[in-house]
Amino acid sequence: MAPPNNQKRVKGTQVYRPFVYGTIAKPFNDETNPKPPGTPADHTHSWTVFVKGVDDGDITYWCKKVQFKLHESIQNHLRMVDDVPPGGTFEVHETGWGEFEITIKLYYVPESLEKPQTLYHHLRLHPYGETEEEKEKMKQRGEVPAVVYEEQLFNEPYENFYEILTSPAPVGKGGKTKVLKGGMVSSVGERTALIPLTNRPGSEFSLETENMLLEEIRRAIAETKKLSDNLAKENQEAETYLAKLRAEIAAA
Amino acid sequence: MSSHDVRDMLDLPGDAPRPAKKQKIAAPRPVLKGLAREVQNLSGDNPIAIVPEVTVFKKRRFATRKPAAKWELKPFKNSARNGDSLILRHWRRKTEAPPAPVAEDGNGEPAAAQPPPEIDDSTFAKYNVRVQTPKYNDEQYNTKLRSDDWSREETDYLMDLVEEYDLRWPVIWDRYEYELPIPQMDVDAAEGAIVPAQKVRSMEDMKARYYFIAATMMKLNKPPELMNAAEFSLLELMHQFNPAQEVARKRFAEAAFHRTKEEAREEESLLLELKRILARSERLTEERRELYARLEAPPSQGAIGVYSSSQGLQQLLQQLMTADKTKKRRSLMASDGISPAGPSGQHQQGNFERRDSINRESISGPSASNNKKGPSQGISERRQLTADEEKMYGVKHLDRITSSGPAFRHEKITKPITSKSSIQQQKIANVLTELRISQRLRMPTEEVGKQFEILLQNINVLLDQRKLADKLAGEINIAKAVKAEKEKKERAERGEPEPGDEDGEGGAGACLGDGEIKMEDGGREKSAAPSIRASSVHKRSASVMSGVSDKSTKRQKK
Repeated sequence: MAPPNNQKRVKGTQVYRPFVYGTIAKPFNDETNPKPPGTPADHTHSWTVFVKGVDDGDITYWCKKVQFKLHESIQNHLRMVDDVPPGGTFEVHETGWGEFEITIKLYYVPESLEKPQTLYHHLRLHPYGETEEEKEKMKQRGEVPAVVYEEQLFNEPYENFYEILTSPAPVGKGGKTKVLKGGMVSSVGERTALIPLTNRPGSEFSLETENMLLEEIRRAIAETKKLSDNLAKENQEAETYLAKLRAEIAAA
Repeated sequence: MSSHDVRDMLDLPGDAPRPAKKQKIAAPRPVLKGLAREVQNLSGDNPIAIVPEVTVFKKRRFATRKPAAKWELKPFKNSARNGDSLILRHWRRKTEAPPAPVAEDGNGEPAAAQPPPEIDDSTFAKYNVRVQTPKYNDEQYNTKLRSDDWSREETDYLMDLVEEYDLRWPVIWDRYEYELPIPQMDVDAAEGAIVPAQKVRSMEDMKARYYFIAATMMKLNKPPELMNAAEFSLLELMHQFNPAQEVARKRFAEAAFHRTKEEAREEESLLLELKRILARSERLTEERRELYARLEAPPSQGAIGVYSSSQGLQQLLQQLMTADKTKKRRSLMASDGISPAGPSGQHQQGNFERRDSINRESISGPSASNNKKGPSQGISERRQLTADEEKMYGVKHLDRITSSGPAFRHEKITKPITSKSSIQQQKIANVLTELRISQRLRMPTEEVGKQFEILLQNINVLLDQRKLADKLAGEINIAKAVKAEKEKKERAERGEPEPGDEDGEGGAGACLGDGEIKMEDGGREKSAAPSIRASSVHKRSASVMSGVSDKSTKRQKK
């Protein structure tokens, strides 16, 4: 959609919203995850691909619909998920036997006047990890999550959209029916960019995790600094030695 | 000058009798006011279309022609100054009636002192309002107001203070300096006098005492049954005074005042967290209730058992079809999902499905309307957000935004890597794995992005250093080879045997060779030293070495 002339972008402003996306796969077994009738015999896992807010926050006020592009061998491989209640999850459930890359296309609300954006996510069915230990742990859990945190940046959003992004969720009649029908409480749907302070089982994306990551990166920065300092010293020595060698050659 | 005059001068015909015209001209003239007579006359018989507007710049000042108002210096006293004889004067608009006092006033003090009834009270005297404090006599005090904590003297002292400072409690508290009387064993003060040390009364103590007395006296003077609403609520209020709670409130307020910005922010985020948790639990109970409702037989649809079999369903379908036919078809088709009797065949699948679809529709309805409502709220004036709000809504003001539109943070953070060549990318990736940093950052937040940028810069520096190290190592090898070649040649020229030479120059060469080995050893030692500290350093130095040797062999081959 071409932006109409009467709309202006809010200059020099960036608004961000955290969200998570990814897949969760479960192998079929008779007790906890029986094969639903009608699944092909060679399917080994049931899995879900989703896009949702951090800690069940609302994202529907900026994300209108999500298209999941699955592997072409899957019937009806373009799945458009639409009409998600506030605070809900855009998700697709499937069964299958193989891993592949899912293309996730986010469509923004019409007020944003923005083009859809694409994310890529690798569907994980089998336990993964850098060490065997991690893999084993995942196997014990009975499900293979591959969930990542992402932040949606709106660079210089249009004024209308900026207004939506920076006002609290409207309450009133609409909000009330929401509570009744979807079991959704308006305050969960608060339009905030804040992330929870601490980790909870089921949602490990919080300030705590961020701080841990920051700690790691700072350590890495210190390490690289040390390495390059050492290397710089060695290089200097090597240079003086080379100069000496050359002087000798010239003299001889 | 009129047109007739012009004609007259030019001897033009068409003269009309003059007197008649004079009458005509006389008529329009008053209408066209403000135009020069000469200009007006130019038009002749035709009326002038343009009439200049007369601009009035200023109203005339003395339009009313009233004489200037007269003022006089009048003395006044202030009754609020308890019987003080001070008399001040101020300027007042002179009243019309008595012309005589003007002269007297000019004299000043004697005149002011002379007519006592004439002096008015200050206009501000009416603001001198005293509060009414409860008064009690001995009997009342002894029967109703006695307290273990407060002596009669101290109570009196408090009451005096309250009256003096008009119930301004902070002032009363500040001025409160009650000293115990030297033990004079009065009958009624006996009990109070036992209190040994001087007590420090808090404001709440004083208030509690005062309110107790005031309430008691109020009740004594007027039974509560006869009080009007305002009085009664006042009484209630005084009864409800709770000093402990008041102290706690003040302490809390003070703490809230002294808290730091960080604490305030933390408190805020904690509150948000709490809200979230509460909402979550609420939702959980809601869901649970829904589940229970589903588990039980749906109350409203008691007859659903009939339709559970396929036969029953068929029957239902038949019913619906007939209903559909009898009713107007269009009305049903239009309200497809919402209508309880979904006419099409797909709807017979089950009740749940249909209910879901109803839900979905009713949910999506309001959200869509919300979206529409949003922009209309304020297009023209953008709200100014506070710093906290900006944090909450994730609003950042950046000096330079390269491209507007949506983007993903992780993509942006890793852009410095992905924009490089694949070889360079691989190198950076290797370093990152050495540092045990995953290439897919777990939480690509803004702060993480900033730190990661620094890390990438460091990595680039490191890679440059490694490149330089490789280059130097190669050059050293070449230089060594050249030198060895030269020495060989020199030896060959002199016809000396190759190894184990005791010649001065050969010795020097050997020495140099030794030195070189030492150097290399030194270098190795140096690189080995940090390898004890960190395994990655060791790995790296090893890889550098291997890289060096690889390159040197390659160059030698060339």
